[in-house]
Amino acid sequence: MLDYPRIDRFAYLNSMIHRFDPRAKIIAFLFLIFSIVGLSEVKFALVGLLASIFFLVLSRLPLRFALRHIKWVSLFIIPFFIIMPFTMEGTEICTIHGLKVTYEGVEYGVLITLRALSAVILILPMIATTRFEETIKALERLRVPSIMVQMLMFTYRYIFVFGEEWERMWRAIESRGFRLRTTLYALRTMGRAMGMLFVKSYERSERVYNAMRSRGYTGHQRTLAEFNLQKSDLVLSALIISLGIILHIIQGVA
Amino acid sequence: MREAVTTRNLNYSYPDGTIALNNINITIQEGERVAIVGPNGAGKTTFLLHLNGILQNTDGEVKIFGKNVNEAEREDIIKNVGVVFQDPDDQLFMPTIFDDVAFGPMNLELNENEVRRRVKNSLTRLGLTGYDERCSHHLSYGEKKRASLAAVISMEPRILVLDEPTANLDPKSRAELIKIINELNRDGVTIIITTHDINAVPELVDRVYVLNRTIIAEGIIREIFSDAKLLKENHLEVPEVFKLFEVLKCFGYNCEELPLSINEAIENLTKTIGTNGGHIHLHIHEHTHEETEKVKHKYRYDHH
Repeated sequence: MLDYPRIDRFAYLNSMIHRFDPRAKIIAFLFLIFSIVGLSEVKFALVGLLASIFFLVLSRLPLRFALRHIKWVSLFIIPFFIIMPFTMEGTEICTIHGLKVTYEGVEYGVLITLRALSAVILILPMIATTRFEETIKALERLRVPSIMVQMLMFTYRYIFVFGEEWERMWRAIESRGFRLRTTLYALRTMGRAMGMLFVKSYERSERVYNAMRSRGYTGHQRTLAEFNLQKSDLVLSALIISLGIILHIIQGVA
Repeated sequence: MREAVTTRNLNYSYPDGTIALNNINITIQEGERVAIVGPNGAGKTTFLLHLNGILQNTDGEVKIFGKNVNEAEREDIIKNVGVVFQDPDDQLFMPTIFDDVAFGPMNLELNENEVRRRVKNSLTRLGLTGYDERCSHHLSYGEKKRASLAAVISMEPRILVLDEPTANLDPKSRAELIKIINELNRDGVTIIITTHDINAVPELVDRVYVLNRTIIAEGIIREIFSDAKLLKENHLEVPEVFKLFEVLKCFGYNCEELPLSINEAIENLTKTIGTNGGHIHLHIHEHTHEETEKVKHKYRYDHH
């Protein structure tokens, strides 16, 4: 078996955030994410980051799990942090190998980093505290277009199947003596194997579609789900959303 | 009794022009148990896909309870004909087992209570109580297979079509599945299966169609199994018990009807021993060697 990087691995834990109604959770955290991403001053973005960390702590998700997810996304943020100080016009701080570092550049780099990190961190309490199929159903209830919900659902269902298919194929390739090297031959073999996976996937999609039509699928799709919005859900959503609004109000006044 | 499935002059060619089905005429009565057997690539799955209108075809006619599949309301056909495909990973496409089993009833636009009732019934029937929130990906193959059957019987079809139901199952899962299919049949559901599992044929069906692009033969199991030439031409086989009793005959055992299963064998032996004063007599006579060689030859595929 593959070790799948499952985002909902710790959905079984129990915390205030885990108990939060999935629909309210998505709306409230999405609002907060957009609100923090829209901040334009470093100190407020810093407050946003602290708030994000606070929610992460509140969700009781293991730190190692959180860091593993944040680590990968950070790889995309770091380049901005490095490039910005050198590329923005403004007050010079120092020169490194003839490249001017500006105050404005550093500030903007820090701002982007803070905003992006906050967003990435907030995704965890939003998504990782609910079983993924619940999240999908919540999206459906929130009237996200059916086609998107279905795409997400099938991706989630079949990514493991394709993963295993690839693993089986790779095992067959390796057991016939193939070793991955940086030769043209090795790359060509890899390419062909991937091509095979596409063909297999295409054929499977046809069989799945037949199975769906056999059970009356016409393109629309509904699922049954029991969501129960409690008073505490409303209070928590209100708090999170107000936080997003207040950050902007204070920034506007100051 | 009504005719559950009728096909008349059904022809089908793949997009590349290869003939898959040629002039298929089949009549299956309500409540019957029928197997469609034949070599790999004989068009068995293709034929099944015609039964609920997944493959629509104007060259010929498929009728379900007298209604033409191409002309009837799609929902009408779907409701009556449930198809269980071979690979459960194709059949279970929803996030949880509950959603999968509810998928069909939801599409029939039943109300929520009815959907929940049917899901519960189907899961109980298949021994999957408590599996509601499980992801199909984490189930064993046997469990997946049962779940895919649950997902179809929740639509309460009158005709159940199963493509290779016993393939890849361990003996326990296989036996359980056969039992469930037969229970459904006792409730009046018409059963149509394709299979290579020749030992399952006597347990699962009463009548057999041999399909190899076209219908080669049709009959009750014993008739089909007794035609060695037919079997060989269509890459088929008979159950080991059947062969064993043919061998016993070479040693002088007196047997009119060769048994198809262990149960029939016990019955047969009991009867024969009973009528022979409490014992049977086997011996080697002058033709025994010749006759056993003939039996061996009859079922061999590894030489010509």
